[in-house]
Amino acid sequence: MDEYAIGVLTNIGLFSFVALSAWLLLVAGELSFGQQAFFGVGAYAAGIGTAMLGWPLPLAALAAMALGAAAAALVGLPTLRLRGLYFTMATLAAAEMLRILFELFHWQIALGDERIGPDGTQGFRGIRWMLERGIEPLDFLAMVWILLIGVMVIFLRVENSRLGATLRALGHDPELARSAGIDVDRLKLGVVAAGGALAALGGALFAHHNTYIEPRNFDIMLGVHSLAYGLIGGLGTAFGPLLGVVLDIGVLEATRSLQGYRMIVFGGLVAVLLVFRPRGLLDERVVHWIRSRA
Amino acid sequence: MIDFLQNTLDGLALGSSYALLALGFTLIFGVLRRANLAYGPAIMLGCYCATWAYLKTGIGLLFLALIAVAGSTLAGVYVERLCFAPHRKGAAAAAMVASFALWMQFEELATLALPRHLYAFPALYAGGPLSLGRLTLRVESLVMLVAAILVCAALWRILYRSRFGTAVRAVIDSPAAAELSGISVSAVSLQVFALASAIGGLAGFLIVSGNEQVTPMLGMWSTLKGMLAMMLGGLGSLPGAIAGGVALGLREAHSQWYLGPQLRDFIAYLLLFVLLAVRPPWMNTRSAY
Amino acid sequence: MLRVVDLVTAYGKIEALKGLSLEVREGSITCVLGPNGAGKTTLMLTIAGVLRPRQGAIEFRGEPIAALSPHAIVARGVALVPENRLVFAHMSVLENLHAGAYQRKDPYENDLEKILARFPRLKERASQDAGTLSGGEQQMLAVARALMSRPRLLLMDEPSLGLAPLVVEEIFRIIAELHRDGTSILLVEQNAHMALKVAQHFYLIEQGRVTFSGSPGSLAEDELIRRAYLGSARA
Ligand SMILES: Nc1ncnc2c1ncn2[C@@H]1O[C@H](COP(=O)(O)OP(=O)(O)OP(=O)(O)O)[C@@H](O)[C@H]1O
Ligand SMILES: [Mg+2]
Repeated sequence: MDEYAIGVLTNIGLFSFVALSAWLLLVAGELSFGQQAFFGVGAYAAGIGTAMLGWPLPLAALAAMALGAAAAALVGLPTLRLRGLYFTMATLAAAEMLRILFELFHWQIALGDERIGPDGTQGFRGIRWMLERGIEPLDFLAMVWILLIGVMVIFLRVENSRLGATLRALGHDPELARSAGIDVDRLKLGVVAAGGALAALGGALFAHHNTYIEPRNFDIMLGVHSLAYGLIGGLGTAFGPLLGVVLDIGVLEATRSLQGYRMIVFGGLVAVLLVFRPRGLLDERVVHWIRSRA
Repeated sequence: MIDFLQNTLDGLALGSSYALLALGFTLIFGVLRRANLAYGPAIMLGCYCATWAYLKTGIGLLFLALIAVAGSTLAGVYVERLCFAPHRKGAAAAAMVASFALWMQFEELATLALPRHLYAFPALYAGGPLSLGRLTLRVESLVMLVAAILVCAALWRILYRSRFGTAVRAVIDSPAAAELSGISVSAVSLQVFALASAIGGLAGFLIVSGNEQVTPMLGMWSTLKGMLAMMLGGLGSLPGAIAGGVALGLREAHSQWYLGPQLRDFIAYLLLFVLLAVRPPWMNTRSAY
Repeated sequence: MLRVVDLVTAYGKIEALKGLSLEVREGSITCVLGPNGAGKTTLMLTIAGVLRPRQGAIEFRGEPIAALSPHAIVARGVALVPENRLVFAHMSVLENLHAGAYQRKDPYENDLEKILARFPRLKERASQDAGTLSGGEQQMLAVARALMSRPRLLLMDEPSLGLAPLVVEEIFRIIAELHRDGTSILLVEQNAHMALKVAQHFYLIEQGRVTFSGSPGSLAEDELIRRAYLGSARA
């Protein structure tokens, strides 16, 4: 495989994590514009872990996930009862606060003859755990996708479990779910925290793939994109957000002949697609149909 | 003390531009109960049309204003038909994401026409600022303030003293009842979108001619500021939008002075977050029209 | 003037109307009776264009209206007073009435005066927000607003629901007056006793179908009332 294809496939894998985390909230009935912040928290945390504290990547990634879950729960707690646009705006506000905190975050240590660590808007360079361990891009690609497949297995199992049905019930009508005896607040907090952890895992990998991160990587554009992936791909199955990412990154990269026009074409196509399929390509009906065939 | 007064004056001017943006946003939100993410990018596109016309022909400010308003309005109508008319029942997420898709489209369209990151825009007023004792006031700010007041007055007349206004408020109150009263919700939505985008276009023109420059960032900036001011003012209330815009402007001018731009924005988002979480009574009104 | 033929309207998989046909003659009061859940509201909403029928035809003055949206149906002269009243809660009584006259191009000040004279309680509260009116007053406002569009056919869905007996009488007095002025009326009522007094023709609906129709007196009133409230024995 050439380097370019490896890069595209790696990016598809990386952004699938944050897309899945936005999709998870979408299925539970809420639109979050804030998952990019937990992606960022994961990136910074894991970067600090390996590059500054000398931890191995797995440990740093676990710490990043814990921190991502904690940050998401912290944002989630005061906003549990918010619905619709109120919740969406609260997540956006929280995410922008976190991004500004990244901009204000200066903490560097001397390593050899250079200073390593987050340097505000200048970003955080030198996250070179991969290079130092001699891990090839192809190995990294495999690592990303193995993790992603692991996450997908969990998602698909949950989908067919009672928890999955409960989640969909919550997304369908929270009041009804509440009156059916579901502890809506706890469930929502769990979803939010799991989404935070998932996004953070993606961020941790992203930081090590890029070796350089800056606050701008985690702005609202990424958040809205993540949400859009799930909605384009479909709300019916966890493959939906993956399909969304593949369509965006994969197809757009493949059609570089459209250079300069691709968002014009793609943006229009997405809007038209949503007219006919407001719950995405793989919506509940399609998924049901496929299942009944299988 | 003099700093405080000067900051207040600057904040008022800034706030009146936010108020204009929030008015348009609120009109749309009131009628559709949907957030239009492409609101700011439509304004940006209108301003880019004006910039393009200026670079090609060098025509005067008045024409540029007309082009900005007309361009924003057309873009707004396009957004309504493609993103909101098909999703009138349910599918709020789809409408919002579709409007985001068009945002991307508008940004690329703008950079395709004018690829540099920054373009100069003719100044609204070439002379220096007015001085009031030890205070100074830019003429552009004064124009913005006056424009905001005029737009509010005109909007008030339209909404409360015209047949169209009755229809708009009826749709805001209850789309179902409006249809049963013989009001076409679809037509009213389209007209409100056009009106809101025109107000946004005017705001955009005043902002870029005041700043004497235009960038694609204007799109995201307008959406965020408009939305922020709308939410501060209580989501869906026109007087609230004006109050929210002015409050945001005042707060920004003061915290900019004392804290710098990053903390200024941080505090804006913190305030919004806390307001949303606590939900003071005025933020619960669905109605205040 | 209104012909409904073989109408089927469904909510998802549940068919609430299963091939219902009825007719309203010009200048008449036609009454629809039936137990709860029979499909009366569904029928009214379908005629008014709020619900799309899955099958069947609706003709008003010879023109098919089944595919039109509600505002277009109002423009053709059919106005609905909905079951849940649905006034504009945050607009004044007067503004509610102006909204009702929205698609009229002619000056309607005279009509406004007449209608306010007919509903003196509304006149007293002309500048009050509709949401602050009592239930009975809101019902009157809903009727008055529908009248502002100067309908040829007025659809009324249980206008007496939840009102005190005196107010119910007032509503029926107004219905009789409107009829005298030449408005055709299709009336859904649980209050069969009152309804049969004003109606020239009635339909009994059970489970989405017409099970009986005729003029008042063609079926013993107590038998009719029993079926209207309880449904027939075979139901
Ligand atoms: N929005 C809806 N979704 C699903 N089913 C509905 C809906 N509205 C009504 N139904 C069902 O359709 C049937 C007819 O309802 P409808 O409201 O037309 O009855 P109705 O005759 O007006 O009763 P009532 O006398 O209680 O007003 C009922 O079985 C009801 O449960
Ligand atoms: Mg009913």
